[in-house]
Amino acid sequence: MNKIWALLMLASIILLIFTNPSALVTEMTESAMGVINLCVELVAVYAIWLGILEIVDKTGLSEKLAKLLSPLIRFLFKTNDPEIIKMIAMNMSSNILGVGNAATPCGIKAMKLMDDKSGKATPAMIMLLVVNATSIQLLPTTTIGLRTAAGSVSPTDIMIPTLVATFITAVFGISLTLLIQRVFKRRKKKSLFPTI
Amino acid sequence: MPVLIAALMLYARFKKIETYNVFVKGAKGSVNLVLDIFPFIVAIMVMVALMRASGITDMLIDILAPIFNALGIPTEVSELVLLRPFTGSGSYAILKDIYTTYGVDTYVGRCASVIMGTSETLFYVATVYFSQTSVKKLSYAIPLALVCNIFGTVIACLVCRIL
Repeated sequence: MNKIWALLMLASIILLIFTNPSALVTEMTESAMGVINLCVELVAVYAIWLGILEIVDKTGLSEKLAKLLSPLIRFLFKTNDPEIIKMIAMNMSSNILGVGNAATPCGIKAMKLMDDKSGKATPAMIMLLVVNATSIQLLPTTTIGLRTAAGSVSPTDIMIPTLVATFITAVFGISLTLLIQRVFKRRKKKSLFPTI
Repeated sequence: MPVLIAALMLYARFKKIETYNVFVKGAKGSVNLVLDIFPFIVAIMVMVALMRASGITDMLIDILAPIFNALGIPTEVSELVLLRPFTGSGSYAILKDIYTTYGVDTYVGRCASVIMGTSETLFYVATVYFSQTSVKKLSYAIPLALVCNIFGTVIACLVCRIL
């Protein structure tokens, strides 16, 4: 992330120095102000979803959900911590239902719990990122809303293609991650026990 | 979704939960959560704004368009594919543009809709998700997730052609 950010920032700034140097500070300030608006919105949206999630948690529904998904989560994340399993279960199901705003707080909490303080992303953390990046989508709510607003004849027409495409992508993403993690593990073992 | 929330409220009442108190307790965490992730979002958004202002975004689109074409991704959606990893609100704005320019129910319009599902605001999610952890080294996380997103985009274009 550090490298990507530095590279893209530097490239943009250097180009701007030649083309439009006065725009630099205005652009930066304006975009940061845009973030304030976004954050005010996010405070409201997260307040609603965190409130609802707390109710879900209190009813014991999140435990039931965790139990339902725990074989899959145990396999993918190699964890037995009930709190982590619960957070990941809520994160995955929110994503599938198209409520990304409920998924984010759960994802942040799960990442925090999985952190081993080593400063490096663990395989389980990377798996969670991939699972979020490739999530299956049952109800693409925002997109359907935008399609309706744009005057589509059948706004929900994209639900089946989205489900099929996201399902294939999720399977691909998870398998690729498992494969890479297996290769890394084997390499580590080899370096620990060098032959001769 | 509204039905689900109604069902949840009924179920919570049935379980004799003080829904009001519990809701308030959960909602309280929101301000601190957003305060914590605010600087990370600023860093990402400033970068996106500068990339756009400097013209790097357009240059990248020109460079990547032939590659996208080879993968079966139409040129009309390449701006969406390029900016989607960085910004959620930005990519929805581009999606709206695509709808008005090329039509909602055309191949391009449907393709763009499905791409919104198969891809994710990856850099945003990665920054926010890791913001509360000690992680400084993401190792192969970003390239891996990017590959998955590009694969998803290709699949989205393919599925739209069939279904």
